[in-house]
Amino acid sequence: MLRRIFILFLFVFVTAMFLGIHPVYAVEKYTIKEMTSAVQSALENRRNRYGQLEALKRQRKVGENNRGYVEAFSSEGSVRSLVEAENRDRKVIYQTIADQNNLTDALSTIEKVFAQTQRDNAESGDKIQTEDGRWVKK
Amino acid sequence: MHRYHSYLLLLLLLFFAIGCTVKAVGDPKRPITINAHITVDIKGLQNTATDIEDYVSGKKSKDSLPIEK
Repeated sequence: MLRRIFILFLFVFVTAMFLGIHPVYAVEKYTIKEMTSAVQSALENRRNRYGQLEALKRQRKVGENNRGYVEAFSSEGSVRSLVEAENRDRKVIYQTIADQNNLTDALSTIEKVFAQTQRDNAESGDKIQTEDGRWVKK
Repeated sequence: MHRYHSYLLLLLLLFFAIGCTVKAVGDPKRPITINAHITVDIKGLQNTATDIEDYVSGKKSKDSLPIEK
């Protein structure tokens, strides 16, 4: 009986190893380890302009692209400057996460994950860019 | 059981040998650059992104920010 259990265990172990099934690991936590003045003001700026940006999204003058940034669909100067400021602040936040968590080579991954979060949070009717590059209404 | 133990040991040694052999041979005057793969935990990043975006949108307070305490 013990022998059978041992063989079964061994079989399962070897199969799992070859299939690439590994034990479940704890989820990694990526944090802002040092709240620099740059990242702090980027967060505050974003929080302060959130209402304005959302209003522009409802008017479909701004959309969320698939790289974690906003894009202007209007030639109005005020829209473009708001988009530029928002993207500058987002870049600071993404870069800080990358730098402070040894993920400097994974900046594009960080941006894509934030893009997915923005798509998830988008309201119905907002302009969003899908992963394959198409602009659609959510 | 001794036979099975030796099989297991052999198997573990095999995994060890397959997984851990890294050799770099080359001219010392021309250093070799090894591009290491970075493993990113997407779930962890998603949690970080959600925490930050919840703060930005005003859904959550500053305490929810993923800041190392």
